[in-house]
Parts: sequence; C-alpha cells; structure tokens
Amino acid sequence: MYKYLLCWRYLRTRYIALASIVSVTLGVATMIVVNSVMAGFAEKMRDRLHGVLADVIVESRSFEGFWNYEEVMARVKEVGGDDIVAMAPTMETPGMLRISRGGRPAETRLVQIIGVHPEDRAKVGDFAEHLFDQEGNPIPPSFEVSEEVKARSPAGRELKALEDEPPDPFLESTREWLEKKREEQVPIHGAILGYALSTVHLGHGREDVYIADIGQKIALAFPMQAKIPQTGADDYTVVGYFKSGMSEYDSTHVYVPLEQLQRARNLIRPSDGKGSVNQVQIKLREGADLDAVADKIQLAMEQLSPMFFMVSTWEQKQGPLLAAVAIEQSILNILLFFIIAVAGFGILAIFSMIVVEKTRDIGIMKALGASTAGVRNIFLGYGLLLGAVGSGVGMVGGLLFVRYINEIEKGLSVVLKRKVFDDSIYYFDRIPTLVETHTVIAIVAGALLIAVGASVWPARRAARMHPVQALRFE
Amino acid sequence: MTSHIAASGLRKSYRKGKIEVPVLDGVDVAAARGELVAVVGASGSGKSTMLHLLGLLDKPDAGEVVLDGRRIDDRPDRERDRLRNRTFGFIFQFYHLLPELSAVENVMMPHLIREGVFSYMRKRAAIRRDAEELLERVGLGHRKEHQPSEMSGGEIQRAAIARALIGRPEVLLADEPTGNLDAATGQGILDLLRDLNRERGLTMMLVTHDQQIAHQADRVVRLAEGRIEEWVPALV
Repeated sequence: MYKYLLCWRYLRTRYIALASIVSVTLGVATMIVVNSVMAGFAEKMRDRLHGVLADVIVESRSFEGFWNYEEVMARVKEVGGDDIVAMAPTMETPGMLRISRGGRPAETRLVQIIGVHPEDRAKVGDFAEHLFDQEGNPIPPSFEVSEEVKARSPAGRELKALEDEPPDPFLESTREWLEKKREEQVPIHGAILGYALSTVHLGHGREDVYIADIGQKIALAFPMQAKIPQTGADDYTVVGYFKSGMSEYDSTHVYVPLEQLQRARNLIRPSDGKGSVNQVQIKLREGADLDAVADKIQLAMEQLSPMFFMVSTWEQKQGPLLAAVAIEQSILNILLFFIIAVAGFGILAIFSMIVVEKTRDIGIMKALGASTAGVRNIFLGYGLLLGAVGSGVGMVGGLLFVRYINEIEKGLSVVLKRKVFDDSIYYFDRIPTLVETHTVIAIVAGALLIAVGASVWPARRAARMHPVQALRFE
Repeated sequence: MTSHIAASGLRKSYRKGKIEVPVLDGVDVAAARGELVAVVGASGSGKSTMLHLLGLLDKPDAGEVVLDGRRIDDRPDRERDRLRNRTFGFIFQFYHLLPELSAVENVMMPHLIREGVFSYMRKRAAIRRDAEELLERVGLGHRKEHQPSEMSGGEIQRAAIARALIGRPEVLLADEPTGNLDAATGQGILDLLRDLNRERGLTMMLVTHDQQIAHQADRVVRLAEGRIEEWVPALV
C-alpha cells in the first residue's frame, strides 16, 4: 500500500519531476498531431487516387489494344461473379493537347487522352463527381456539345440571325455553308479537360484564369495504328472540366468519346466496324478482396490470351506513391520518437537525483520492513505515473490540437499575416486529419515504456541500497 | 534467566578502501523479556552496528542472533523484512519522518508496508485509530495532520517513537534516541520510553553515550574495542 501512497505523494509534491515529463508531453502531442495530419492527407490522397482509378484494371500491353473486350468482360464476370459491380472499356493513350486562344501563342501540353463512355466510366469510379463547368457547378457525365455553345460561335450567331428569314434557295445554301463553318468552329465531339490543363494558377490568393473556355476548340494529337509510328490529330470542343484534387490527374487527363478516339486513331476494324480498347476498368463490390479477385482475373486472362493482358489493382498502379507516403510517415515517426527518448534521459537524470535525496527515506522504509522489490516498485511506479501523466496530457493536447487544427491555422494565418495552409496547392479547403486509435495507443504505450525504462536504473539503485548505509547517509 | 533477544560471537568489519576495519569482535549480549538494557560506549565503538545486527538491518560476518531461542540472522530476506516489520521497532538518532506524509501517515507506515491495497482498505479505519491513539499517547494529539516540516525535533522524535510502536513490536531498538535533543526534551523522550517499557512489557535496547540516561536502565552494558564489558549500574 505504501508504494501507491508514496508514488502519489511524490507526483504531487515534486514539481521538478513534472518538468522532466514536459518533453514527453510535447513529444506525444507532436506525434499524435503529425500522424493524424499525415494519415488524413494519406487517406484523402488514397481516396482521390482510388476515386479516379477503378478497383481493378485489365489492360493490354500494346497501345492498339484488343477488339475482343466483350469476351474479356464476359470472362471477368465469369471468374469475378458477384464481386464485379461494373465494368467500363476504355482507350487510354498518351498524346498532345494544343490550346489556341485568339491573340495569344498557342499552348501545347503533354496529356493522357482517355476515350470513355462517360456513363460507364462514372459507374466504375468517381468520375461524375469531379466534373464541373466554368462556374464550378457540377455537370452530368456527357460529351454532348450543347446547342447554346454551338449558337455562341461566330457562325452560330450568324445562323441565328438568319433563323427568322423567309425560306429561299440561296439562303438554304448559305445556311448549309454556315453549319459547316460552325462545325469547324465548334467540333461536334466534346472533351472534358483536366482543371489544371485548362487554367493558369496565379497563386497569392488570386483566382485561377481559364485558358480553355467551355465551347472552345482544342486540338489533340495521338499515335495512330499504322505500320510505322505516326500521329493523328482531331479537334474537340471543351464541354467541362475534371477536377479531382490529384494534380497528377488534373494536369494530364483529357476525356473524349471512346468511339471518336477509336475512329481517329484508326482502330475501327473494317470487318465488323468494332473499335478496340486497351483497358477494361472494373469496379468491385464493397469489401471484396481486391488482390484475390485481380489474381483470379489474371489467371483467366492468361487462358484467354497468354502474355497479353496485365491485371492490376489501383493500389498496385499507385504503389510507389503510396509507399512513398508510408515511408515519409515512418521516418517522421522515428525522428519524433527520438524526442521522447531524449525525455527518457531527462527522467533518468532527475530520478537519480531523487533517489539520492531519498536515501534516508529508503533506509527508514527498509528498517520498517519494506522489501527490496517494494522499494524498487515505488520508483518504477513513480516513473509509470509520470509517464502516464505526461503522455496523458500530451494525448489530450494532441487530440485537441487535431480537433481544432483548422481554427488554429486560421488564427496563425491572422497573426503571421500569410496563409499557413494554402488550400489552392492541395485543393483542400480544410486540413484533413484522421485520428487512428491504434496509432494513438502505440504512441502512448511507447512513451510509457520509455518513462518506465528510464526509471529502471534509478529504481534498482534505490532498491539495492543497503539499509545501514542509507541510514548513515548524511 | 532465558533471554528474549540475544547475540553471541557477533563479528562485523567494514572495508574502507583496501583496509578492513573491525568494528565488532565477538560481541555477546542478551536482553530478557521486558528488560531495558542500555548500551554505552565511546563513539565509533560499534554500538549502532550492534543494534543494526540485532535488528536484522545488516548481516554479521560471524556469530548469530537469536530471538526466543530461534536463530534469525540467517533467515531469507522475506522473513527478515517481516521480522523487521512485526517484531522489531526502530528509533534512530536522527528523528526522520518521510517528508511527503503527515504525522499520522508516518505513524501508520509499518502497517502501510505490511498490508496490500485491499487489506489496507478493509482495515484502514482501525489502523488510523491506532495511529491517532499512539500520537495522543506520545503527546502529539494536536499534530496529527501536520507535515514533518511543521514540527519540532522533539515532536518528530515522538512521532518516530509512535511509528516504532504501532506494529506492536516485541523488541524496541533505540539508537541514541535523545542524541540530537536538548536535555529537557531528551528526558521527556526517555520517560516516555521507560513508561512504554513498563506498560507494554517491551524489551528495549537503548544505545547512548550519556551516563545519565544509561543509569535509568535496568542494566547497562559497555561496548569497548568491539567487545562487551558488563556492569551493574550504581543505584543513585
């Protein structure tokens, strides 16, 4: 009983020891904050990575792709069974985008051209959720060029002016000519551009400037199916923007109608008029084992056509990026844990002093029948108690910081007169956080272990103290 | 006469660097049940060492300590701890209480050491009443909740005596209990010890270098050059 009483009294009377655990507190709080913010970022990133990518992707090794995608999809459905929720054939190819704007030099950018059926694409992953018009309003997944856009073009405006004229043969031919002209000005096929492709980011709190407006004509160049490497080109009209928050996607993706891309790339088979795709994107049932299903599909694909298909899960596709985040987090954790380890030495030093100061108390306790283990446990218990208080306060502080991190960020921004968290860089309007219970438990347990570990040596010294020498101590 | 506590052939030496300093060189001493034995001797004659050996605070190099006819100095640590807690009561020259605890908590200390959490919780009312009664008995009824830092030397020594008595020991070992106190306070402490000796039938070993105090004992033994020279005090 005396052990607990003394631990408690030491805790309440020795403020110097409390000073030694401030670094435990700070270390625990910092670790919780850093881990929560990094986990928040990582989760948001995974969400976005995953959102755009389908769960499992079957792709061919060649850009020309495969024509038998219906057969592929049937086989996938066969082996995947109920796990398969939706599938979308896709043609993805690298290419170039040219945006010309009256009076300014044209901009050419390297892009990833993705031919899709928009409704199918929307079913296999977050696609529709990321589509916006110029005002930032969501738009449906479609490549349709609206009549309004057509009417806005110079030829469209002239056509409109002729609408009310009485019919006459000359006017008919003018109309036909103008309609052709309008088609040149506003190509009938729409394209959805990545947000970062179609805007210039000025920063410093200024709004992004669009360089490709809705209704504007853009030109795409891409590899053709031919005997020698050869490029083809096609014009499209901007009908919307794709803004996922992942800069990698937002700065490279251009979505166009699948059939038009197939036609332009000369991938339509003359025999039956079918075009090829080089990907089948697959969405699985919630909670399905991605890797297991991917393995099954890979096996089926090998049977269908050996060495032709690659099957990967979205995590495998983004493996290096996810691994990089994980490594960053673990290195940060190691570094931060050193802070707590340093705190351990503080506890060791102060405990050694306390043991010397308590020499006579220890002698008295032993004279009164306290055992060696009992004396040792007083100091071990004291170390545990200090660690518990230190990491407990750190935990509460860290969790509160995480809870109010956005308010704190705002306050700091006001004080420092500059934005601490520039939301335009990450497209996040708030700092994302994710508190993982197991991480918090591990941090607190680690801190406790260090506190107890640091008190082992002083406690053993106290316990081994010879009662007579302790009593003679002046 | 059978002795309550006895030591025979006690030897103990300390190392100071490379030199062995013999402190006790075959000490034979005994006290009958209820006897108050004073141990006198010059400083450094080994009085305290003898007391520590008798009270199992230290182990003799040779010789044995016998309690009620049973050898106790070679018992395992657990039993030695238990004997110190239950059979012996210690009073030291430096009156030392644990500074974090109040007077009454200090007095309760032997019970706090003896009992686990649950058995203490069951008995705490009785233990506390005991401690308070003992504090009253040593004249500190008004100091129960005071911290040691708020008490005078004499008061602290009285509290230390109460602490030595609460475990209902059979043998009280006092090492210069009045050494650091002025004459009047010291005499008060001594009277208290004498009274306790009578009313409780406590066997007492009292180390002192003060002849005046030694003469109040039943028997005086003198320790010189590591051995005992015994003589009966002259009746004053």
